[in-house]
Amino acid sequence: MADEDRQQRVAGQKTEVWERPRRRRTLNTDENVEVPEPSYAWMPRSLQWETRVKPGKAGLRIGDLNVGIYGEIPDHWDEPTRMPRGAYPLAGIPPLGFALKNKRDMWADNAADLYEEAIQRRWIAATDIPWDTIQPLPDDVEAAMCQLCTELSQAANVEFETIGYWLQHMSYGYHEVKLFLATNMFDAGRHHEAFRKRALSNGGGLGLESRGEINRMILESKGGWSETSLFLHLLRGTFLLTVYRHCERFANNPAEKVLFARAMQDKARHVAYGIQHLRYSVTHQQDKALIFQRLLFIGERVFTKELQDPAMLEPLAIVFGGGIEGARAGMGHVKRMMADWLTAYTSACEWIGIERAAPLSPDLAKYLED
Amino acid sequence: MPAFPSVEWFDAVRHEFNTNDVVRTAGGGMCDAKVGVKAADRVFLLVFEGFECSSASEIAESDLGDTDFYLDMPMEDWADMLDNIRENGEADLDHSLNTMDLDSLDGLAHSYTGDQYRQDMFFRYNQTFQYFFDQSARVETEFREGS
Repeated sequence: MADEDRQQRVAGQKTEVWERPRRRRTLNTDENVEVPEPSYAWMPRSLQWETRVKPGKAGLRIGDLNVGIYGEIPDHWDEPTRMPRGAYPLAGIPPLGFALKNKRDMWADNAADLYEEAIQRRWIAATDIPWDTIQPLPDDVEAAMCQLCTELSQAANVEFETIGYWLQHMSYGYHEVKLFLATNMFDAGRHHEAFRKRALSNGGGLGLESRGEINRMILESKGGWSETSLFLHLLRGTFLLTVYRHCERFANNPAEKVLFARAMQDKARHVAYGIQHLRYSVTHQQDKALIFQRLLFIGERVFTKELQDPAMLEPLAIVFGGGIEGARAGMGHVKRMMADWLTAYTSACEWIGIERAAPLSPDLAKYLED
Repeated sequence: MPAFPSVEWFDAVRHEFNTNDVVRTAGGGMCDAKVGVKAADRVFLLVFEGFECSSASEIAESDLGDTDFYLDMPMEDWADMLDNIRENGEADLDHSLNTMDLDSLDGLAHSYTGDQYRQDMFFRYNQTFQYFFDQSARVETEFREGS
């Protein structure tokens, strides 16, 4: 009955409630164009009609749309096609073979809000950073900043390529997560752009790319999205957040100050998704915390090995120390930065529910000794 | 002239913040957070909703448990930061909230409940909080220990 009612309205039989948009009245009929008789067969195909979501104080947010059946987020998504959640299913669509069909594989309760946050808080590297405030720096400081930006730019590149790989494997039932991760990719693209711009804007140039073992570990993590998020958001994400914070502190000019402050905000958002998802994963799968614990044991050691490469910590020491002459004092601050990171990282592990039964590797634990 | 810290002072800054569209751009934006401020043995609650800081009130220290995080530093550091903002129109390289947090022995941003996730809002919405305190450049301020 409801279907008939809708069809009648659309066919003009209930004109008292159907008013055509004004613009369509101006359309002319071309007698030479053959038009098939419309069937309107698609018209009644909706699982829930009469949905009227109203904007709230913060506008019409993606999370606000989760009303009625549109807000039913199943623990398992059986639909093998690109059918959006709440849409009318069609038979006979060839399956696409999504690898991730369970909510626990990707879900985070904050994903919809973080998506809105990312859209709201976006910035433009070309114009929001006061590039004209950059003044010539001593060669050693410029070289260190360029090397640092080369590394950070590459890390951002790995981030968007990694997420790009996993997005296609996530089923369409969890669009909030897919939307947020799309913004995470875009943010990472902007970071790649912005750090590259800094390296090429003050008489220096790109430095070398380090061995990139952590990059490779993240890119080649194929055990599942949660496992990749563990490395990308928890292990490296908290590290990058700490690096951005300390680089904001030691910025040489307003341009660097703004650059690192904006990157810090973005990274905190990425980490917020990661730790919320990992907590969801841990609380919905019996042995996931143990798996994560074992993976982190491996990941921390790869991370430690990469830090032996001077391409990251030495430039930081020079930036913090204001030059090679102050690099020794700067390395002291690098130790402080590493301790800050490890504190944040282990706190996040605790918040997620990953017990740190295995000790940190000695090369990491030494930063917490003082 | 409003004295820092006081509800009157925060209301004056709120007025500047809520009426300045610039704070909504370039990394600013909507923000939903309850932020505590401890200064000179007094405790305040700032509520950020959407684009606005919707209220400022004085609370008991035990109410900090309701905040996402709170900012706490010695009165001379608050005065140093706010003086710097007043002189420059915004915080300079050495007086941003993040820098004050890293330079302070005990840190500036804290969680009353030890909730890492909520404390991280200090970083997630950092530009909004920076814009907020930067607006104090347009508020005549006097400092009163324990005012």
